[in-house]
Amino acid sequence: MIVRKIGENIVSPLGFSVEENFTALMSGRSELRRYESLWNLPFPCFVSLIPGAALEAELSKEELTGRCASSTKFEKIALLSASKAIKQSGIDARSGRVVFILSSTKGNVELLADEKTDFDRVTPANTAKMIAHHFGNPNLPVTVSNACISGLCAQIEAFRCLMSRQYDAAVVIGADVLSPFIVAGFQSLKALSDEQCRPFSANRKGLNLGEAAATVVYQVADDNSDGWRMLAGAVRNDANHISGPSRTGEGSYRALLSVLGSSKLTVSDLACLNVHGTSTLYNDEMESIAINRAGLNAVPVNAMKGYYGHTLGAAGVLETLLTMRAVEEGKIPATRGFDELGVTNPVLVSSESFDTQK
Amino acid sequence: MEPKVIHRVKLTPRSLEVDGKRVAEAVAGESFLTHVYRQRQMDYPKFFKMDVLCKLGFIASEILLETEGAERFVPRADRAVILFNRNSSLNADRTFQRTIADPEEFYPSPSVFVYTLPNIVTGEIAIRNKYHGESNFILLPEKSEEAMNQAVERAFMDGETTSVLTGWLEAVSETEYEAEMKLIMMM
Amino acid sequence: MELIEELKTKMIEALNLEEMTPADIDDNAPLFGDEGLGLDSIDVLELIVLLERNYGIKIADPKQGKEIFASVRTMADYVAANRTK
Repeated sequence: MIVRKIGENIVSPLGFSVEENFTALMSGRSELRRYESLWNLPFPCFVSLIPGAALEAELSKEELTGRCASSTKFEKIALLSASKAIKQSGIDARSGRVVFILSSTKGNVELLADEKTDFDRVTPANTAKMIAHHFGNPNLPVTVSNACISGLCAQIEAFRCLMSRQYDAAVVIGADVLSPFIVAGFQSLKALSDEQCRPFSANRKGLNLGEAAATVVYQVADDNSDGWRMLAGAVRNDANHISGPSRTGEGSYRALLSVLGSSKLTVSDLACLNVHGTSTLYNDEMESIAINRAGLNAVPVNAMKGYYGHTLGAAGVLETLLTMRAVEEGKIPATRGFDELGVTNPVLVSSESFDTQK
Repeated sequence: MEPKVIHRVKLTPRSLEVDGKRVAEAVAGESFLTHVYRQRQMDYPKFFKMDVLCKLGFIASEILLETEGAERFVPRADRAVILFNRNSSLNADRTFQRTIADPEEFYPSPSVFVYTLPNIVTGEIAIRNKYHGESNFILLPEKSEEAMNQAVERAFMDGETTSVLTGWLEAVSETEYEAEMKLIMMM
Repeated sequence: MELIEELKTKMIEALNLEEMTPADIDDNAPLFGDEGLGLDSIDVLELIVLLERNYGIKIADPKQGKEIFASVRTMADYVAANRTK
């Protein structure tokens, strides 16, 4: 028995399908822009936003305009992405054998700007319930809110839900939107760059933020089914500091070892490593240490934050889908924004896109 | 082998229960969480920097793990921390929102913002106890024992996890909270 | 020196140093590392906000903070020389 991918979608500033996003990615496009005072914030920022008009047009095509009349942007992109992926997968989402798993860090947090807001609506758990209800699904949806790794944790939850036969199919939706809350918060941590982010580069100054939703549908299948299958996943903790990564890349290193062990893959099987690569000083350094400690320094590394910014709860799903799509085409995408390697441990960052045989 | 509950802790603004027995009750004047912290002589100054969700999870986990003694702080990766609630980090979110609400007094607070993720409490517990295993925070539309049990079962599937620190951990304000946590071991 | 006492009081409040009084903080003791107060990177960021809010001082690069926040005394010297309010 295996777990395989049967449906997918990406809603982002670069398009409303995996195909549109992949084409944009391979041509080096990005909608990351500098804004001098976005939402009247008293500092410039460099972010990637989903344009409202294009989003409304897509909702209309999907016949969701009426349904979304009083929805927030977060609810709209999550529902739109889920709707497209479910359609593609062909599953009956009303079945009790299907589970919905949402990945989000901040959901509708922007609603807090209105003092009279309905607090019940702020939590992503409420959005997940709304989405499951929309598709007529009877099960209690699971929402993973585990910071930057949420999108990967959600896929690992799906994998286990299916391997244990708790369910037969899982719809995993990753989504987050930007708001003054999120941008000001990251700014207060001095984590933002007001220029294009530069993953793993010597002159990297911090991260860019971005909006996206991405959905993947997984299903239990026979061992000999074709297509992409999930082999293993692991979540490990640094146990170091609540906001700064471990100097030894502890959690990341342990997760890599665990996945290599349980998937029984070796270095020569791997086409590439899609890394977090936020472009903060500490993250990229920590990842280079973890990759080297895990003996993976000969594997090409690619980071996608230079196209999309850090899309928070969407990142893990978005980047998984684009990495799969690229490898299908025999390509490793370029790491946009990368110039000169600036981490202490050697890693093979893809400065240009190149072909892979794997 | 099957999962077995080793200890349970229930903590609300009114009382603290350990393994079903009431061991402390609220006193007038002081926050109950601080009261329990002092009464049990927990020496961990970082406690005072935490938001209410982390304080709640910290105290409940300290009490759950009390009986493990000195072995407790040996680094390990076979214990997962999987916590649940409905409202995520709502109290920290509202506190941070107040630091950015007034354009004339716009001073976003970094030490508040770091707590605007619900999973920070799993990190605080992992740091305190040197847990390198899995950690996760799951939001549910309602408190469902069935959904929580299913997620704990899944956590045991990674081949390395042999025990899980888990439970419901909700804190919507400084005075409205509920922890119902347990330590579960595969035995 | 009044400014030193004022800074200590504001620090205790901003950093939630619950169990401390201004008298517990030595003027010259290091604020970071294992000796002294043992503050961390988030505390530095919060101190930067404290200086901006109370004294109109902007510090763009947290690295600059290392010297300014070496001790309460170095902080007070910096505030006295650079304050705009």
